[in-house]
Amino acid sequence: MTILKVDNIHKIYPSGTHALKGVSFEVKDGEFLVIIGLSGSGKSTLLRCINRLHEPTSGEITFLDKDITHVKGKELRGIKQQIGMVFQQFNLIKRRSVLTNVITGRLGKLGTFQSITENFSPELIEEAMNALRIVGIEEKAYKRADSLSGGQQQRVAIARSLMQNPKLLLADEPVASLDPATSNSVMHYFEKINKELGTTVICNLHFLSLVRKYASRVIALKAGEIIYEGLPHDIDEKWFKTIYGEEAEEVEIR
Amino acid sequence: MAHVNPHDVMAKRKDKEILKSRVKAALLDFFFVFYSVLVVDRVIWNKFILQVKNIPFSWTEIGIIALVSLVVGVLWSLTGTSLSSKLFGISKKNSVTKYTFEIFGWFLFNITFIAGWIITKISIVDLFSEEGLNAAQRIFSALFTPEMAIFDEALFAIIETVYIALIATLVSIPITLIVSFASARNLMNENKFTLFIYATLRLISNFVRSIEPLIWAIIFSVWIGIGPYAGMLALLIHSIASNAKLYSEAIESIEEGPVEAISATGANKIQIIWYAVVPQIILPFLSFTIYRWDINVRMATIIGLVGGGGIGTMLIQYQGLAQWHEVGLIVIMIALVVWIMDYISTKIRQAIY
Repeated sequence: MTILKVDNIHKIYPSGTHALKGVSFEVKDGEFLVIIGLSGSGKSTLLRCINRLHEPTSGEITFLDKDITHVKGKELRGIKQQIGMVFQQFNLIKRRSVLTNVITGRLGKLGTFQSITENFSPELIEEAMNALRIVGIEEKAYKRADSLSGGQQQRVAIARSLMQNPKLLLADEPVASLDPATSNSVMHYFEKINKELGTTVICNLHFLSLVRKYASRVIALKAGEIIYEGLPHDIDEKWFKTIYGEEAEEVEIR
Repeated sequence: MAHVNPHDVMAKRKDKEILKSRVKAALLDFFFVFYSVLVVDRVIWNKFILQVKNIPFSWTEIGIIALVSLVVGVLWSLTGTSLSSKLFGISKKNSVTKYTFEIFGWFLFNITFIAGWIITKISIVDLFSEEGLNAAQRIFSALFTPEMAIFDEALFAIIETVYIALIATLVSIPITLIVSFASARNLMNENKFTLFIYATLRLISNFVRSIEPLIWAIIFSVWIGIGPYAGMLALLIHSIASNAKLYSEAIESIEEGPVEAISATGANKIQIIWYAVVPQIILPFLSFTIYRWDINVRMATIIGLVGGGGIGTMLIQYQGLAQWHEVGLIVIMIALVVWIMDYISTKIRQAIY
């Protein structure tokens, strides 16, 4: 079953940057799709168009058989609730507890008054603890978010997105600010969510070794266009040079 | 949604940008020429070199100068070698542009400095005249021998001043909060209506802020009568306008990441503000508010001069009677209180961060 269909989308920012130039692809339910490409190739923009943090300039995005390209207001918030997102810089609320951060994943379903009085039911708190258990840091629940290490913060961010019970999980270079060992452990949680919960994952990555290890399919972007689509193991030396430029050399992460 | 050709969008945007810059550059060039002619003719030539006492003024003359400057300015701008086209980055890159930029730039700076010197009537002779020095000595010696008989009266007046400042600051907080959220661009760029509110609030608060509290105090002392209430209102309105700017700038400079993340969960606007914006701005807000109290204490002494109550009103009374020993005591007390407030506010703000 096709969960997401991206058809010929363009994105031009108000500054005039033409970030996406006619990108089209489909994602099947349960896939682990990885998007690779240099910085500035349009990877982040693409993810932000899919969950509609940005509105594409033209083209069409279909999510669960529904055209979401230009939806607005309440309908847009409904779409966002079904798509989780994890960021390179974790983007947690630094001064609040880990538990509160995780609960913010559910804001879309909570009333405005209830959420600003922070009157959370025991069931909701238990669910948040459960999400923390999945990423293995329930013991940090009452710590302040900014007291955690980078890898731990990213796991909290993953738990936050799990609170949305997402059909689709987007990850924008989730390990780019982490060291190699931590990178592998964080990627491992994405794999676990993909395999055990059956959540479809679209992930931007830099390191090919991680791509080969986790991706079920790969798309490569260059200057806003798709230049490669296929299986991770089919990316050979020649493709690598095409994607990353002649100067590039592959770096291993184990 | 109609089909959009991305290349057309890009081209149109670029053309519009360049046209805008050209119009702006032409207007600025007109202003530069107009300004230079006026300054050189009126101030440097007539007033300084010819020493004309009352320079004849007529709108027709100014109009003709403006018209000529407009023609010269626009023509100059059209050549693409003018100062403004360089400033707006649409100039031709050749040696003429380089010379106009350097020579005309220096010319503008120099005539402005010279005109300023002439208009300010700077004179070393006046500063060190014998008569002047004697008067200064008289006042200084009186100021340093304060009259302690009015100490009780002055103490009550200065307590009034501190409370005027305190109440103005406290009452300003809730109002400033609302105004600042509604005048932060990153929260109000949702649609045309919210942008309109943003622009209107910015305009009003810029206007209010550009009028000094001293003038607000004059307005309010006429409106509701001389006294501490008028002074408090003057400080209040100015505090709101000034802090709304600082607050909204703090909101505009928050980290966008958490906002993006909370927004991506499908949260609504109020939830986004509560969870992603508020935790980032609480400390700066507190710091600004305490600093505003500090500023308000200084201001409260000044607005008393025009009927805003407190120690300032007392000061202006004794000054009017030329009782310099009493003035001396009041000045010393003001300095002391302002210094203490400054110290406390700095300590609190350091403790917060």
